[in-house]
Amino acid sequence: MIDSVILVVQVVLLVVGCLFFGVGTLGLFRFSDTLCRIHALTKIDNLGLGFIALALLPQASSLATGLKVVLIWLLALAASATSAHLVARAVRSGDKTGTGRKRGNG
Amino acid sequence: MALFGAFCLRTAGLYLVWWVMTEGDSSGLGFGAVIVVLVGLLSCKLYSPSGYALHPLATLRFAGFFMLRSVVAGVDVGRRLLSPSVPVNPGYLTVTTSLPAGGPRWLLANTLSLMPGTLSVRLQGASLELHCLDLDQPIDADVRSAERKIAGVFGLRPAGAGETTP
Repeated sequence: MIDSVILVVQVVLLVVGCLFFGVGTLGLFRFSDTLCRIHALTKIDNLGLGFIALALLPQASSLATGLKVVLIWLLALAASATSAHLVARAVRSGDKTGTGRKRGNG
Repeated sequence: MALFGAFCLRTAGLYLVWWVMTEGDSSGLGFGAVIVVLVGLLSCKLYSPSGYALHPLATLRFAGFFMLRSVVAGVDVGRRLLSPSVPVNPGYLTVTTSLPAGGPRWLLANTLSLMPGTLSVRLQGASLELHCLDLDQPIDADVRSAERKIAGVFGLRPAGAGETTP
């Protein structure tokens, strides 16, 4: 009984996670400028991956495996926040210089 | 002494990560211990200890705050995307943070990138340039509450509020 409840919760979480990823990708098409697209991608991917990681946790065979899933989520968060910041900074530099492209090291 | 403490803490943290990455496999633990000590030494040589201590309770509170706001952020962006008119009012906003340089400011910039409606663009000294999805939202209040939580994580006394300029 409890097993099937967990299974249903897992399926729901996985579907919700995938839906968020889908909506985030939609952001690439619906938003008109680079920075708004970055908004959509970072926020929604954080949440989508979070739901998927949460869904996989009951499946983990040991504590270490569960922590590994959490670690993957944290690494993806750090990577997505950092790359979002770098892209935003490059776009802003392009705005200011008027070249639209950042040259050299930033 | 502080250096030794930082070394022990980092090595212990790295060993935990090693244990997690090998999924608790006991055959790799001996090898991992050697690697972890070497990496701990290297990390102390490259990044000298900052002098901040993380407060466990405040860190947990920050984690809860972060997850809650992540959900708000995702739902907010999703709602805007799915509504037919795509209601956004994007623009830049510069906030001045009261957090000290280094780890706290870095954590604030990265956290704000994942929080609803804000994306950190440039961090220069104490001023942080944000790109906002909707300038009509109470961005300043959001920044201040994130700032307070981060100050707690690093055990800092919350200083007077900074200022916000468009």
